[in-house]
Amino acid sequence: MATIALPSQEAQNPFASVARLVPGVLLLAAIGFGGKVLEQSINGYAKVHHLVIPNIEYVLWAIAIGLLVANTVTIPQVFLPGIATYEFWLKAGIVLLGARFVVGDVLKLGGISITLVILEISGSLVLMTLLGKWFKLKPKLTSLLALGSAVCGVSAIIAAKGAIDADDEDSSFAIAAILALGAIALVFFPLIGHALHLSDNAYGLWSGLAVDNTAEATAAGALFSDAAGKVAVLAKTTRNATIGFVVLGYAIYWASRGQAEKVTNKAAFLWNKFPKFVLGFLAISLLVSVNVFNKGQVESLANLSRWAFLLTFAGVGLRTNFREMSKQGARPFIVGALGEVLIAGLTLGLVVGANAIWKL
Amino acid sequence: MSEEKVATAIPRPSLSLDTWAVITSFVLALLVRVGALKHIPW
Repeated sequence: MATIALPSQEAQNPFASVARLVPGVLLLAAIGFGGKVLEQSINGYAKVHHLVIPNIEYVLWAIAIGLLVANTVTIPQVFLPGIATYEFWLKAGIVLLGARFVVGDVLKLGGISITLVILEISGSLVLMTLLGKWFKLKPKLTSLLALGSAVCGVSAIIAAKGAIDADDEDSSFAIAAILALGAIALVFFPLIGHALHLSDNAYGLWSGLAVDNTAEATAAGALFSDAAGKVAVLAKTTRNATIGFVVLGYAIYWASRGQAEKVTNKAAFLWNKFPKFVLGFLAISLLVSVNVFNKGQVESLANLSRWAFLLTFAGVGLRTNFREMSKQGARPFIVGALGEVLIAGLTLGLVVGANAIWKL
Repeated sequence: MSEEKVATAIPRPSLSLDTWAVITSFVLALLVRVGALKHIPW
């Protein structure tokens, strides 16, 4: 019997797929732009009336409006596919952010980041594994929490879920804990950074190393300053690049215990898990370094990156639903919170040490 | 076995979110480079 393959209905209708995203993307844009307008209006009002008020960045406004919407009204179904694109805007924003780094910066800060990332990952994995054992969490839930806090939050948990054959409930617990802790970090990291008078580079490195999810790490950096946001993305991207190696280690461990499938092709596994946007970021940075773009064009690319991040920050607020998170139970959250506080302290120590050695 | 042809729907291989983000960014960078997008304000 011969068979002929037909493309599926969905694949035949890409316009319908894109059209589904429009309402949610418009909502992200409206909230993000609303945050920017609020910042400018308040600053303008303060200037005209000679008032001294603290500058609240558009980042915080966008997240706060998103949080308010997500936690006070039920968002209609029609907006959900578009809201989920915030991760796409995050990654596009990171690729375009490459325009703000010449290769020399990437090599210098990236080199420091790699050293600190190796120390951070090792320390976080050990710490979360010990805490998971002490609090008697299920071993695979402990693995997911360790991966989420050591590498890159939700992406690492999703990547590891299939590789170590974890169940849906454990993944939901781990994701909820990481997201809740990311939301808390948005409040405390800038406050601590300012209290300790950290430089933009030192603070950016710290938030890139300690905040788990890429969107929250980017937002935590940008809440301190634009320059710190840039460095936070670089440090976080370095962490993201290790995802394949760490998940592979866990997959091999669980397969050796007969509780996950064996990894037959390790190179293909690493390539599949590698975040491709890191390559895009490096490519744009390289093109800028060899003067493919003039000064005005580099500024335009940097601004495109800022617009993409604006949509991301609105999405961070919109997808943080405290009611849903509270349904996940307290124990994984307590383990996560304890671990995160210790990891934040460890990474702060690393950054202060690096600052003393390399004068960040 | 007959030569009957059976139509089966198979999904086309789709690109990952990362790849789409990279492609979109490069298209935007190209538009900026060739001058189709002249000035992006902030």
